[in-house]
Amino acid sequence: MRRLSSVFYLALLACLVTVCPATVLGADPVRGVTDTEILIGQWGPQTGPAALWGAVARGTGVYFDLVNEEGGIHGRKIKYFLRDDGYQPAKTKAIAKEFVESIGVFGVASGVGTSTGMAARDYLMENKVPWVGPSTGSKHWTQPLQKYLFAVYPRYSNEAFLLTQYTVEKLDKKKIAIFYQNDDYGKEGMEGVKEYVDKAGMKLVAEIPVEVTDSDLKSHALKLKESGADAVILWILPKHAAMILGQAKAIGYEPQWVASSTLSDAPLMFKLTKGLWNGVVYANFLSTESPLAKKYMEAQKKFAPSEQYTGIFFLAGFVFVEPMVEGLKRAGRDLNPETFVKAMETIRNWNDWLGHDCTFTPEDRQGMKSVYLAKCGPDGNAVKISDWLTYKGK
Amino acid sequence: MNLFFDLFVGGVSIGACYALVALSMVIIYKTSEVPNFAQGEMAMISTFIAFTIMDGYGAGFWVAAALTLVFAFLLGLVLEISFLRPADNPGILGSIVITLGAEMILYGLAGWKWGANQNPFPIPFSEYSGFTFGAIRITEVNLWTIVASLAITLMLFAFFRFTKMGTAMKAVQQNPFAAKAMGIPTRRIMTFTWGLSSSTGAGAGMLIAPIATLDPNMMLDPMLKGFAGAVLGGMTSLPGAAIGAYILGLIENFFGGYVSLEFKSVVAFAVIVMILCVRPSGLFVRHYEKKV
Repeated sequence: MRRLSSVFYLALLACLVTVCPATVLGADPVRGVTDTEILIGQWGPQTGPAALWGAVARGTGVYFDLVNEEGGIHGRKIKYFLRDDGYQPAKTKAIAKEFVESIGVFGVASGVGTSTGMAARDYLMENKVPWVGPSTGSKHWTQPLQKYLFAVYPRYSNEAFLLTQYTVEKLDKKKIAIFYQNDDYGKEGMEGVKEYVDKAGMKLVAEIPVEVTDSDLKSHALKLKESGADAVILWILPKHAAMILGQAKAIGYEPQWVASSTLSDAPLMFKLTKGLWNGVVYANFLSTESPLAKKYMEAQKKFAPSEQYTGIFFLAGFVFVEPMVEGLKRAGRDLNPETFVKAMETIRNWNDWLGHDCTFTPEDRQGMKSVYLAKCGPDGNAVKISDWLTYKGK
Repeated sequence: MNLFFDLFVGGVSIGACYALVALSMVIIYKTSEVPNFAQGEMAMISTFIAFTIMDGYGAGFWVAAALTLVFAFLLGLVLEISFLRPADNPGILGSIVITLGAEMILYGLAGWKWGANQNPFPIPFSEYSGFTFGAIRITEVNLWTIVASLAITLMLFAFFRFTKMGTAMKAVQQNPFAAKAMGIPTRRIMTFTWGLSSSTGAGAGMLIAPIATLDPNMMLDPMLKGFAGAVLGGMTSLPGAAIGAYILGLIENFFGGYVSLEFKSVVAFAVIVMILCVRPSGLFVRHYEKKV
């Protein structure tokens, strides 16, 4: 009898050990997922020096409103939390903590800034917070690979490679200079330019840095002119782009300007440069001609009629997050970080969005590797001059 | 040699902008010994006003510029009356903190009202074509920047030298108590100082905006450089501060052109540290005196 009861207890214990964790887990709610809602956060500079790019986070808000209006995702509506970090990494980190510890979000959508994102990256990953589409093309999102982090923005270095290739091979320019912002952003662009130049056995005729705070670019323009470059690749702020074009023209220097996707808002740049942007070649990664773009801008009129800025950065708030919504749809009703990651990894050559050929695999978290090139027309209109170009290197 | 002259012209024209910022700081500093850190944002707000008058109401540049100078003057008065005057004997440190607070409020206000977009600032001069004197090429906007800056500097100089008001302001600076005893309304003089300084700053803003584009951050760098130039030349001397600012503009451009663009912004400050070690009161102030 004694033995029998001990066997019974043992069996009971075994049951407890094996069954209970499963039942407890099953009952344990997933952070940020309820029966009716999925909680998603985003930081973005609504104030401060980078506030123009804060439009990304507002675009995402409209996108989620649209998704909700169309019935949500498997019976759940997205509840969106937008926080202003003013482009300050210390604030971003605090916001990430708020997202995880006091709000309890399921995931993070986009988020402007490399240094701001880097301040939050490790914390989010430790807490298994899925994060999709940081809105910069830094390599830090995918190198080293992070299980819960999915990059959408094509890497700056790849984009720079493609731009330089086009400039040399199609525009037939042989003396290339780069004018870059003296930080990670500019340097990653320079990496790509150099990668192509080295491969082609050429040499850059000038590498001119500019500091974020510089407000007088006369000497920069003079150095560029002195180098005799016939094409200058720009990896800088919109403001500096406007200044350097003006200063260069004032000293009679008008090379072919070639700009990164961060300067892809042609109408804005045209206005800002008082027309000098005409003829500038630049990269872009969201197709503004897609019927989706039209639909999204209509959603803007409906959900955010008072939005002041509805240019390319606003639309970027959609494109960075479209793969996330697709992943949420594919993950099904049983949503948790693990099922979400699995679902994201099924996205291959996906094209039902503003971007091109989105692919995530367990080994590669860089979703998009393509850009297309456009040229600013005489009225500040964008003229597409290439198909999607895809970076073939690693 | 062309590069030399181009750099020289560039240095003088940016120096002209720095000089106006330096002067606007010195005007307030002279009467109250407070470096006004809201100066840059005051100029930025005024420039936005000019932009709004032109862009929103379709007024011409000169009308907008004149109205803006008046607005800037009033803005200076209002700030002095609403921020500094209520403070009960705040001391220099307290006053500096007050100006920093005003700076943040104005910065936030501009972001809220006009957004963070860069705006093109229209001017009636060509930014690309200009005049050639021998080897020296200068664009219209650069030339007019220098002319306007010099004109304002001379006017300020004459004002302090030859008008009763200017003399009264100097008296307030040198000894507020004695000035008061002599029947000078020191408070009103202080308020007027802020207005004058604000208008000078607005002039700087309207000259900087065409080359640097107009946004709420526009004055961050020029303000620091103007302040640095003033320290270089001497915070208590109007011509000293202006000359210091020109020197700073030239140093920056030549260093950027001949040595390193990477350290262009830093070199200005390195020079200032060196000068301050040798002549703490600035290059062009005769001797260092501390009032007790």
